[in-house]
Amino acid sequence: MERFSNSRRRFLEASAAGVALGLTGCASTPPPGPKGGRVAIIGGGYGGATAAKYIRMLDSSIEVVLIEPNEVFVSCPMSNMVLGGFLTMNDITTPYTALAQRHGVRIVRDMATAIDMEKKQVRLAKGDPVAFDRLIVSPGIDFMWEALPAMGSAEAQSQVLHAWKAGPQTAALRRQLEAMPDGGTYVLSMPEAPYRCPPGPYERACQVAAYFKARKPRSKVILLDANPDVTSKGPLFKKAWADLYKGIIEYRPNSKATDVDVRGSTVKLEFGDVRGAVLNVLPPMKAGAIAAPFITANNRWCAIDWLTYESKAVKGVHILGDSLLPGPLMPKSATMANGQGKACAAAVVALMQGQPPNNSPTLVNTCYSMVSDKLAIHVASVHKYDGGDGQMKTVPGSGGVSAAMNETEGAYTMNWARNIWADTLG
Amino acid sequence: MKRFSLAAALCAMAFAAAAQQPAPAAPPPPPAFAPSNLTVPGVRALAANCAACHGTEGKSAPGSSVAALAGRSAAEIADIMAQFKEGKRQATVMHQIAKGYSEPEIHAIAQYFSRLPR
Repeated sequence: MERFSNSRRRFLEASAAGVALGLTGCASTPPPGPKGGRVAIIGGGYGGATAAKYIRMLDSSIEVVLIEPNEVFVSCPMSNMVLGGFLTMNDITTPYTALAQRHGVRIVRDMATAIDMEKKQVRLAKGDPVAFDRLIVSPGIDFMWEALPAMGSAEAQSQVLHAWKAGPQTAALRRQLEAMPDGGTYVLSMPEAPYRCPPGPYERACQVAAYFKARKPRSKVILLDANPDVTSKGPLFKKAWADLYKGIIEYRPNSKATDVDVRGSTVKLEFGDVRGAVLNVLPPMKAGAIAAPFITANNRWCAIDWLTYESKAVKGVHILGDSLLPGPLMPKSATMANGQGKACAAAVVALMQGQPPNNSPTLVNTCYSMVSDKLAIHVASVHKYDGGDGQMKTVPGSGGVSAAMNETEGAYTMNWARNIWADTLG
Repeated sequence: MKRFSLAAALCAMAFAAAAQQPAPAAPPPPPAFAPSNLTVPGVRALAANCAACHGTEGKSAPGSSVAALAGRSAAEIADIMAQFKEGKRQATVMHQIAKGYSEPEIHAIAQYFSRLPR
């Protein structure tokens, strides 16, 4: 009860913040009219876009309104290849048009600013509120800038990039790397787990090193890891660094950033500072801001019921993707968000049809990492529902990592990307 | 007296802690997975997991070399999955994923894809 009232209070605060952003009280869209009801989805990433498509595939009488501020979808997976210079921004960009034209998803290009559970409306930055019968919240991650005080300003954030949400920052970081004179040092700082895409920072170190090896051979990569060791595919990444990038990549574990000296181009650590020509700082992460009312764990993540994807804080709200408090060994990955999107879609459709949700959901994860222009490694896992404690747990004996980096998986990586982009948006 | 009893209490706590420490943490109980859901929506949900790599409803995207599954014979899909599961077929990922599915689940998924148009 106490938790409920807490979350309710936080929710009201979030609503008030929404109002304070200067929203006009314009007329809302008419109350849900379609026969099957209306689902509003906040966020058109791997989780939200997949849920939108699959709800329409499962029951076309349900109206789906997808609220997403970006005009096009830019994929985080494969975006490190843009930093390496092996793919272009165009290669990792997919339009939202097929979701609208092929599946009849109504796309509202706007930013959700507040959720009103009493009126069952999502308020938007520009347009009229969107009414819903059920709501899916899939906003991805937000950054905890408070962990790096000097990074709080917009100016600092425009100079020291994260590029951990693919888009303009990806292109901008590539330009910084291109502009860096040979002999410079690229410093990548990563936070303690959990964070979005466990193998991503290690792959990024490989991709930038591949670029340096080919074009700027006197340059260096320093990877500052807040964790005591590589958190994903450790032996495989270490072998790639030793075999492919000896003398280029320097890995420093237990190196947690405490602040950034932006003007001095220096990452400040608990012990010592590291200067670089290009800094790339990934702050600690938490659930996207719009999901704040549903945070239940460590002031960062949202716990759900794994049968319905309903928030444990507020009924009638479904959450998926990187905002979730994950099950054991469940990464914050694109494949996982895509699978959660389908499981959540099936649960929402069942509930709206008055049927029981699937009592035995399964999720599969496959994460590929490109360690050069052609070589890749992977980690895979299969998760099933344990009715005893309500957790999604890995099936004993299943899952694993690559035997060694290889070109076959390099080819599969690009093919995986094509298929998951089509499965999410096509 | 007060001081003594506090010391005794601290001692007792230290002993309790010491007594707890040597015992290695019991391994977590094996997962108690819910029984497979092989109803029509249950199998559809199982098969949907394949789509991230193999394409929506088993149709691989143009230009992708990952095998399409739609419209292939159920016996062929089930047989290949069994070989992956038993480690008898060369694989990069599928030998690890196949081990996450029971035999009845594999047969149900194979049936599902065999009935879809290519």
